[in-house]
Amino acid sequence: MIENFLAGSAALFGDWFTIGIFVFGVIGGMLFGAIPGVSMLTLAAILLPFTASLEPAQGVMLFAVIYCTGTYGGAITAILFNIPGSAENAPTAFDGYPMTQNGQSGKAVGAAVLCSAIGGMASALVMMAATEPLANWAIQNIGPPEIFALVFFGLAVASSIGARTIWKGWMSVLIGLLIATIGQDPVGGINRYNFGISDLAAGIAFVPAILGFFAVSEIFVQAEKKASGKYKAPKVSMTFPTWMELWMHKIAVGRSIIVGFLCGILPGIGATLAAFMSYGEAVRWSKTPEEFGKGKLEGVISAETANNAATGAAMIPLLALGLPGGALTAMMVVVFQMHDLQPGPLVFMLSPDLIWIVFAAMFYANLAILIIGVVETKTILNLLKIPFQFLAPLILMLAATGAYINRGLVLDVIVMFLAGIMGYLLRRSGFSIPGIVLGLILGIIGEQNFAQGMQMVHYDLVTYFSRPICAILIFAGFVTLGSSVFRAFKAPKQNLQNTDEP
Amino acid sequence: MGRLTRGHWVEAAVFLLIVAVFYGFSFEFNQPIEIYRYGATAWPRVIIGILLIATIGNIWFQYNYGSASQGGIGQTEDEADFSDSGLITRMAAVLITPLVFAWLLKPVGIYFSAPFFIAAIMWLFGERRWKALLIMTVVIYALFIGLFLFILNAPLPQGNVSPFYDFSAWILTMNAKLQGL
Repeated sequence: MIENFLAGSAALFGDWFTIGIFVFGVIGGMLFGAIPGVSMLTLAAILLPFTASLEPAQGVMLFAVIYCTGTYGGAITAILFNIPGSAENAPTAFDGYPMTQNGQSGKAVGAAVLCSAIGGMASALVMMAATEPLANWAIQNIGPPEIFALVFFGLAVASSIGARTIWKGWMSVLIGLLIATIGQDPVGGINRYNFGISDLAAGIAFVPAILGFFAVSEIFVQAEKKASGKYKAPKVSMTFPTWMELWMHKIAVGRSIIVGFLCGILPGIGATLAAFMSYGEAVRWSKTPEEFGKGKLEGVISAETANNAATGAAMIPLLALGLPGGALTAMMVVVFQMHDLQPGPLVFMLSPDLIWIVFAAMFYANLAILIIGVVETKTILNLLKIPFQFLAPLILMLAATGAYINRGLVLDVIVMFLAGIMGYLLRRSGFSIPGIVLGLILGIIGEQNFAQGMQMVHYDLVTYFSRPICAILIFAGFVTLGSSVFRAFKAPKQNLQNTDEP
Repeated sequence: MGRLTRGHWVEAAVFLLIVAVFYGFSFEFNQPIEIYRYGATAWPRVIIGILLIATIGNIWFQYNYGSASQGGIGQTEDEADFSDSGLITRMAAVLITPLVFAWLLKPVGIYFSAPFFIAAIMWLFGERRWKALLIMTVVIYALFIGLFLFILNAPLPQGNVSPFYDFSAWILTMNAKLQGL
């Protein structure tokens, strides 16, 4: 492992262009994660079409680095503005924002810097040790039925993430699955739902859809906040926590690394569940649980350690099984596909260099959070002062160009803006955008593997489900669905008094 | 009607329409595949069926509990408040402007339409200072041209209607001359 890591490090720092991409990913991830109104997903979506001109290792590495540093960057907006950069930063805001209101924003950001780096590096080391053995095992034990079962489980879990109600979570995933059926069917190549538009025969391209659902819809949400006067400029202050304060939370850090890593492996929810569970565990184990939510440093530490610990773990299902665990890893699948590669066990045999460059880059990206976070956070925070009215047209222009360049079709730009409008309206109605995108990406993988699996077992469902891994995953998926059905029919405990709208 | 609001009815109608349209169109490709027993329609129809169940469940939930949240993991959005007609007009303009821009790309091209689009978005986002609008439009347009034309040489839509096409051709000629220097 050490030799491979060193070889990956040498390849990463062996030429200036790759170093440039690494540095761009580190700073870009932090910046986009930290700028209110956009997120690491916006940057990743904008960059997606341009990775086609990079080497496969450079493209995948860039996304892995953005994933690590963007997860940290999202904590800054969560702490300063109460706007989590992405769902996994939401628990950071629970105590981070009250700390800002109490004049302790520097302390909260400092804790986020250090704990993100610690969690991320620990996770990267475990990922390096665990992914390859798992991939080797997967080659012998994982076939189309198991992959379909994993997709089913992932979608079952994803349906409970990010939406206002369980019903809307399911509807989000199902809309994504339905969009994925547009184009040719994966078995017989029959055109489906092209509505007489010949360009739709190739299906809805991932890049414009992802750009629209994430980047463009985010711009529209911010436009609404601007128009309704809800947009708030931040108050920036920088006083880092002392080492003693951090040392006092060593148990919370250790617990969060374990929780973060274990949750991060699960496809569909990874880092989000990690952050929420870790925060919940911190409250459960605390002697003063009533202080959480009012500006307690341990709340920020637990959430930020766990969500970065999940970044390395999220790479395991992606690289070992070819299944994305979240929106950004789903985009990484597209990067692989743009280079005629398929993430999964075979990548370890066909492109081991690529894997170890990515692993090394993730380790160093987390180290960079520590170095750049401590040294340059003040500068990054000053960049937050760019007015959003100047940022919005730049992002929309980049997105439009990115959507067009991929296939040279104006239709893709129209699809992107329509996806943006749809994403905006669905978000404002409480639907889950990550759910839609996961449905869109996993839908194609799921249908293809279901069909192949059924052909393999000659349409005998008993044989299909008697494969042990398949049976366990399908059972786990049904248990997850059963639990969400139970919750779906339960009366909500909160907000009922506010729901009688005119 | 329980706690159902007009917004809930619209939401339900849209999803039921999606279900109906996708189910109706599924008959267009309802043909057997020799190597696959279930054909091309099975997968989409299962999704449509479950979407119908989820939509009915959503209506039931909203009938009983309105817009209450079930506290799902990672749910961070508030519900939009579209009771202000000024906000609706402005948001409609924000949503339509990019679509108009995209629709104009084929006839007008990106080189001519981009500055107007950039300025329009800034204006819609509340920038009313003409100097700032002008300077930032030039800066963003220059950044865009610099990155995609001078550095990446990316093929972008040039338009197919004169004089817009001629303008794009002039920009490309200037770029070629500059690259040749």
